[in-house]
Amino acid sequence: MNQNLLQHVRKAQLDHTTRRHFLRDCTTGLGAMWLAAQSAQAAGGKFAPPVHSASNPLDALPAHFAPKVKRVIYLHMIGAPSQLELFDYKPMLEKYDGKDCPQSYLEGKRFAFIKGTPKLLGNQYPFKKHGQSGQFISDRLPHLARHADDLCVIRTMQTDQFNHGPAQLMVHTGNARMGYPSIGSWVTWGLGSENDDLPGFLVLLSGGRLPRVGKALWSSGFLPSVYQGVQCRSQGDPVLNVSNPKDISRGMRRAALDSLKQLNRKTHEEFGDPETLTRIAQYEMAFRMQTAVPEAMDISKEPESIHQLYGTNPGKESFANNCLLARRLAERGVRYIQLFDWGWDSHGAGKNEALNEGFKDKCKQMDQPVAALLTDLKQRGMLDDTLVVWGGEFGRTPMRENRGGGEMKFVGRDHNPGAFTTWMAGGGIKSGFSYGETDDLGYQSAINPVHIRDLHATFLHLMGFDHHKLSVPFQGLEQKLTGVLPAKVIKDILA
Amino acid sequence: MPLRCLTALFFVFTALSVVGETFKDHVRPILNRHCTKCHGGVKQAGGVSFVYEKSVLGKGKSGDTIVVPGKPEESALYKRISTSDEDDRMPPADEHPEPLPSHEIESIRKWIEAGAPWDNHWSFEAIQNPALPAVSNKDWPRQKLDHFVLNKMTEKGLSPASDANPERWLRRASLDLIGLPPTMDELDSFLTSVKADGEKAYKNEVDRLLSSPHYGERWASMWMDQIRYADSKGLGLDGKRSIWKYRDWLIDAFNEDLPYDQFTIKQLAGDLLPDPSMEDLIATAAHRNTQANNEGGTDDEEFRMMAVLDRVNTTWQVWQATTFGCVQCHNHPYDPYTNEEYYKFTDFFNNTTDADTQQDHPLLRVPLDKKDYPKAAKLHHKIRSLEEEIWSPGYALLKNNTNWKGLKEIKAKTSNHTKLVVEETLTHDEFRTVGTIQQKAVFTIDAPLPDDQKKLTAIRLTGMPQDLETALKDAEWGWVVTGLQFHLITPGENSKPQELKIAQAVADEPHPLYDPMESFKKGNRGFAAYTKINHPRQAAFILEPPVELPENASLRVTMKHDLFILASFSLVTQRGHIATSGSEDWQAFLKDESILAKRSELAKARSAHNAIKSVSTPYMTERHDSLTRPSHMFVRGNFLEKDRPVTADVPDALRSSGERPDDRLSMAKWLVSGKNPLTARVAANRIWEQLFGKGIVVTLEDFGSSGASPTHPLLLDHLASRFQKNHQWSQKKLLREIVLSSTYRQSSVISPEKLANDPSNQWLSRAPRFRLSAEAIRDQALAVSGLLSRKLHGEPVRPPIPDGVWKPFSKDPWKAATGEDRFRRALYVYIKRSIPYPSFASFDAPSREFCSPRRLSSNTPLQALVTLNDTAFMECSEALAKRMASHSDDLDDQLAFGYRLATCERPDEERTNALKKLYQETQSLIQDEAKAKELALINVASVLLNLGEVLTR
Repeated sequence: MNQNLLQHVRKAQLDHTTRRHFLRDCTTGLGAMWLAAQSAQAAGGKFAPPVHSASNPLDALPAHFAPKVKRVIYLHMIGAPSQLELFDYKPMLEKYDGKDCPQSYLEGKRFAFIKGTPKLLGNQYPFKKHGQSGQFISDRLPHLARHADDLCVIRTMQTDQFNHGPAQLMVHTGNARMGYPSIGSWVTWGLGSENDDLPGFLVLLSGGRLPRVGKALWSSGFLPSVYQGVQCRSQGDPVLNVSNPKDISRGMRRAALDSLKQLNRKTHEEFGDPETLTRIAQYEMAFRMQTAVPEAMDISKEPESIHQLYGTNPGKESFANNCLLARRLAERGVRYIQLFDWGWDSHGAGKNEALNEGFKDKCKQMDQPVAALLTDLKQRGMLDDTLVVWGGEFGRTPMRENRGGGEMKFVGRDHNPGAFTTWMAGGGIKSGFSYGETDDLGYQSAINPVHIRDLHATFLHLMGFDHHKLSVPFQGLEQKLTGVLPAKVIKDILA
Repeated sequence: MPLRCLTALFFVFTALSVVGETFKDHVRPILNRHCTKCHGGVKQAGGVSFVYEKSVLGKGKSGDTIVVPGKPEESALYKRISTSDEDDRMPPADEHPEPLPSHEIESIRKWIEAGAPWDNHWSFEAIQNPALPAVSNKDWPRQKLDHFVLNKMTEKGLSPASDANPERWLRRASLDLIGLPPTMDELDSFLTSVKADGEKAYKNEVDRLLSSPHYGERWASMWMDQIRYADSKGLGLDGKRSIWKYRDWLIDAFNEDLPYDQFTIKQLAGDLLPDPSMEDLIATAAHRNTQANNEGGTDDEEFRMMAVLDRVNTTWQVWQATTFGCVQCHNHPYDPYTNEEYYKFTDFFNNTTDADTQQDHPLLRVPLDKKDYPKAAKLHHKIRSLEEEIWSPGYALLKNNTNWKGLKEIKAKTSNHTKLVVEETLTHDEFRTVGTIQQKAVFTIDAPLPDDQKKLTAIRLTGMPQDLETALKDAEWGWVVTGLQFHLITPGENSKPQELKIAQAVADEPHPLYDPMESFKKGNRGFAAYTKINHPRQAAFILEPPVELPENASLRVTMKHDLFILASFSLVTQRGHIATSGSEDWQAFLKDESILAKRSELAKARSAHNAIKSVSTPYMTERHDSLTRPSHMFVRGNFLEKDRPVTADVPDALRSSGERPDDRLSMAKWLVSGKNPLTARVAANRIWEQLFGKGIVVTLEDFGSSGASPTHPLLLDHLASRFQKNHQWSQKKLLREIVLSSTYRQSSVISPEKLANDPSNQWLSRAPRFRLSAEAIRDQALAVSGLLSRKLHGEPVRPPIPDGVWKPFSKDPWKAATGEDRFRRALYVYIKRSIPYPSFASFDAPSREFCSPRRLSSNTPLQALVTLNDTAFMECSEALAKRMASHSDDLDDQLAFGYRLATCERPDEERTNALKKLYQETQSLIQDEAKAKELALINVASVLLNLGEVLTR
C-alpha cells in the first residue's frame, strides 16, 4: 500500500518535471530531432536505444527516482587549482616543508614534470576554520569562506589521468579519449530543455582561449549533435550566427521565414516527409533564439547592487561576468551551464603560474563571483534545486616541482591525480559538510576516496537517473557516462 | 501493451517456424538475451561460455556437460533452464523471478535434440552468390539487385513507388556520385537526351558522373571519416599536421577507381610492397592520421602505444565492422574474439618507426607537383639502398666484438647536479646516472687506453636503458648526444689534450633518424635513441687520421645533452660504456673505393632529391630488424602492465585454412583475399548507405552479434559478391549498377500508407529522403550561387570563419582566404580536431579524432542559424541573387531561374507567388529603391538555399 503510494508520488513528480517538458519538446522543440534521428534508425532493431521511441517517448524515460535538482552549474578551473593552497590543510606537510620527499611516496608513481627526488612543500597560505561547520578554507578565499556552511567539500577526488587534455575529458565525458558525450549532453538527452527559445546546454569560457581538447569537452559524442553544448561567446555573436547578417533586418527575416514555411509546407504536402515539419519548427526556434539569446546574455541591465556583488564589468570578458550569466541562464531554464576558467596550472615555471605570484590573482578573480553566485541563487530561492559544482581536472603534488632537475625560481606544484578537492552546493546534498580525508601530506585520498565516475553517478542520481540505466548502445556496448568500470553514488553526501 | 502484442506475435512466429531450430536464428538470440551476460566472453561464470562452440560442447566447473548433442535430458543447459527447482534454475531465480518462456526452452530442446548443430553468426559465414529470387512484377527490375528488393517488398505487402522524374533523379545521382548538383547545362542536356534516348540517357549520365574529377572528391570525403583524417595532431596541443598529400592521394585513388583490394593493401602496407611507388608510400599515411600528444609532460611511449591500438581498432572498424576495441581489456562479450587475439593483432603495427615525436617522424618528402612523383620515388629508393650498402660493411665491423676493447677504470663526472656512478663488468666499466637528472648535463669521461693497444682507429659509444630486461617491454626515455668530443690525453706536464678528428660514424641501423655525425655539429641532433629506448644502441666513430698511442695515454669523451623536450624530459644518456679499436679494417672501410663512389653517388642523389619542391608528409616505415620490439598482452588493457609476449596473427574465427599472416602486408592481403567473409560485405554496405542513407546492416560499425541483422541478407551478399568477384573490387562498377537500378530510381513521395506500414523505409518501397552531409551543404550552396572553385587538390584552405571561434591552443593563424581558396569544396577546408569548422560541426560532421563509421543526422535550430546567417552562406545568397539578377530583367524569370538552380525543378504557380510575395514584402521594408531591389533578391536567394528540398536529397 505504502509502496504504491510512494510510486504514485514519484510518478507524479516525474510527470511534472520531465514528461511535460519532454512531450512539449517533442512536438516543437529540441526533442523532436532526436525522434527524427531515431526513426531513421528504427530498422536497427536491437541497436535502437531503449529510451525514447518514436511512437511512445514516455516509455523511454528512466523513471527511477524524483530528481533533486533541475539544473547544474559546473565551474571548471582549467589547469587544476592547488587544493593544498585552498581547501586541504596539512599541518604535517608544513612541518616537513623543504625536506626530501620520502621514497615510499615516489615508488611506482608517474609525474609530468617532477624528476628524481623532489622536496616537500607546505601549505603556502594560512588556513582557518569557517562557519558553524568549521570547514578549513585558506585565506585566499575570503568571500567563499562566508559560504562554508553551504558547501559540501570532497577532499578525496581521484582520477586516472595526469595530463591536462585526457584528465579534462575524464571530468566531462567520463573517458580520457575524445569522442564521448559530455555530462551536459547526457543530461539534456535525458531531460531536454525547459526553455523553448534557448538550448539546454550552454558553455561559457573565460581566459582567452579554448581548453586544450577544445569542444570535445562539451561534445555530444555518439549522441545526436542536438545535445551538444552550445558555446556562448563574449565577443562577436553571443551564440554563433545568432545575429542576422548586416542589411538583413528582423522584419526581412520574418518575411523570409514566412515564405520558407509556406514553401516547406507545400513540399510536405507533396512528399509527406515528417522531417520537413521538424525543419520548419527548427527554423522557428532559431528565430526565437535570435532574440532570447542576446536578451539572456545581456548583463548590462542588471542592477548596480548585482554588479557590486559579482564584481562584474559588462562588455569585458571575465569569469565574474560568466558567473552572473550562469545565474541568468539558470533562471531561464537552461539545464546545464558549464563555465571554464583558465590559468590554474600552478607549476611555478613562470610568474603567472606561480603559487606565490599569479595564483593569488587567480584566487581574487574567482573568489568573489563564485561566492556571489551562491548568494544570488540563494536569495532567489534557486539554490534548492540547482547544483553548483566547483573543481579542476586533478590535484597538485605536496612536493615542490623541480622541473629540469633543479630548484626553480618560482614556487609551484606538479600534477597529482591521487587527491584533489571538488565542492558542491545546492539541492539534494548536505551543506556545511566535508567528505573524505587525504593522507598526512595531502598526496593520496586516504579515507573515502571518490573517483570522477562516482561524482558522475552522484550527479545523475541528483538529476533523477540511475547511472547504470542511462545508457545508449553504441559500438557493441551499452555506453554510459560512468563507463564500464565500477561507479557508485556517494550516498553519504546526499541530503 | 504494444510490447505484449509484439511478444505474442513473436511467439506465434516462432511456434510456426520450429520445423528446424537453427542455432543462429533461434538459439543464439536466446542465449545472447538471457545468458551471455554471465556466460559470455567477458564473464564465464562456472567456466561456462555460450560464445564458443568448444565451451558449449564441453564441461562446466560442476563437471556436467553443457550440451550433449541429441540428448537434451543429459545436457546441463536444458536441465538447468527447464527445472522447476528454484535453487537450481537458470537464469538464477533471485535476479530473474520468471524462468525462460516455454517456447524458448522448447527451441533449445529441439536444437539439442537435432544434434546441437553449431553455426556461425551470419557475418562469419562465407559470402554466397544467391540466385535471383522470383518477383511478381518482372517489368520493374532494371538491375539484378532490384529482384532482391522487390521480393522483400512484396513479402512485406508493399509495392514500389513510381519512377522519380528525370530532374529529381539527376539531382540525386549527381549529389550522390560527385557531391554537387548538376549545372543548368547538364540538366538541360540530360532532359533533352532522356526525350531522345530514354534509358540510354541515364546510362550516359552515370558514366559522365563517374568520370568527373569531382567524383574522387566526394568519395574521398566519405573515406576521410573512416580513416579519421585531420590537418592537426589532436590531443594536448593539437598542432598542425601536414598530411594533405594523403587526402589528394585518396581523391586520385577514387578517380582512378583503384580496386578496393589494392586500395586496402596500399594504405595498410604500401611501404612493404616491392619497389613501392610514391603513391604507395603516401597511401600509408592512412594510419598516420592517429592522434599525437605533444602536451608538456606526456610520455611518447604511452601515446605511441595509443596510436598502435587506434590503428588496430580502426582497421577492424573500417574493414571488418567489428568492435575490436572491446577486446583490449577482455574477451569479446558476444563475438568469438579473445583478448590474446587482440594483442596478437597489435603486433602487426607495433614495429613501425613512428613514435609520437613532436616532429611526427618518419616523414616522406612528397613532391608538390605530382609529375615529380616517379623521379622522387626513384631517388628515395636510391638513397635508401645506397645508405644500406654503405652502412652494411661498417655495421659488420661495429658488431664484430674482436674489433673492440672495452675501456676500464673510467672516471665519469657531470657538469651539474646529475650524478654519475661507475660500475665494473668483466669486459668494461659502465657509467650510469643515479637519482635526479638535471637538464643539459655534460658528461666528461676519462679512461686509460688499453696497454696493448698501439693505435687508435675507432671509438665505440654504447648507450643503454637503465634496465635491459624491462626496457624491452616498457621503453625508457632515450637521449640525444647533441655535442661530442674525443680527446687524447698523454702524460707529462706540458701536454695538452689533443682533439681527435672523426671522419665517419656508423650507426646500428641503416637509416637512423639522425646521423651520429651530427653530434659534432651545432644543433640538437646527433647520436641518439630518440625519444625512447628499448635496446642498447651503438655507434662507431672512425678516426681520420688514426693516431699512434703513446704509453699511458688516456681518452676523454665529452658528451653534451642539450635537448630537453615536452618541457619535462632531459634526453640524457642514462647508462653506457666505451670501447676502442685499433683495427686497420676501419681505415680500409673509409678508403674503400667502391664505398667512396657510393658516398658521392649518395650525396648527388640527396641533393637531387632536395632540389624537388616537396612537402614532408608522415608515412609508415618498419623498424630495422635489429630494433624489433616484442609485443605483449596488457593486463586489463593497461599499457603499463605487460603480460606474456605475443606474435602477429589474425583471429581464428576469420582465418581460412592455410592463412597465417605474419606482417602488415600479409595481414592486408588477408583482408582482401576474397575469403574474408566481412570485407566485401562491409564495403558494399557502406556504399549502399551512402546512397540510401541507411545500410542494409544499419549498424555500419558493428556486424557482430550485438549489431543489427541485415534487412536484406541476400541483397547484401549479392552486392558483396558482385563487388568482389564480378567487378573485381571496382567501386565505380558497383555504384553504376545501384544508381541505374529501379530501386534507386523510385520517387521519394511518402504516401500515408507507406508511412504507416514502413515508417523508416527499411523495405525500400520508396526512395529515401535524407539531409545532405555537412560537406554537400556547403558545396551545393557554392555551386548554386556560382561561387564554387572547381580546383582539385592542394593544401588545406581557410574560408571565412565566425569571429572568436579560432582560438587555438598553440600558434596556428587562420587568415580567411580572399581569392579562389575562399570558395573551395568542403573537403579542402583545414580540419583542426579541437576547433572543428563551425558549420560542419553543426551539420554533424565528426571531428575526426577516431574512425567514424557513420554519421547520425540531426535537425537543429543551430543549423538554421548557419545556413541563414553564416558569412560563407550569406556570400552564397548574395552571389545567387546577383546571378538571378543578371539572368533576366523579368522578376518571374529571375525567381524561376533561382528556384531551378537550387532544386533542379521549375517552380509551380504557388511557389512563384510565394517567392514574389517575399520579394515585394522585403522591398517594401526598405526605403532606398536600388538597395531594396538588391536586398529583396538576396532575401529570396537565402530562402532558396534554405529550402527543405535543397537541404535534403
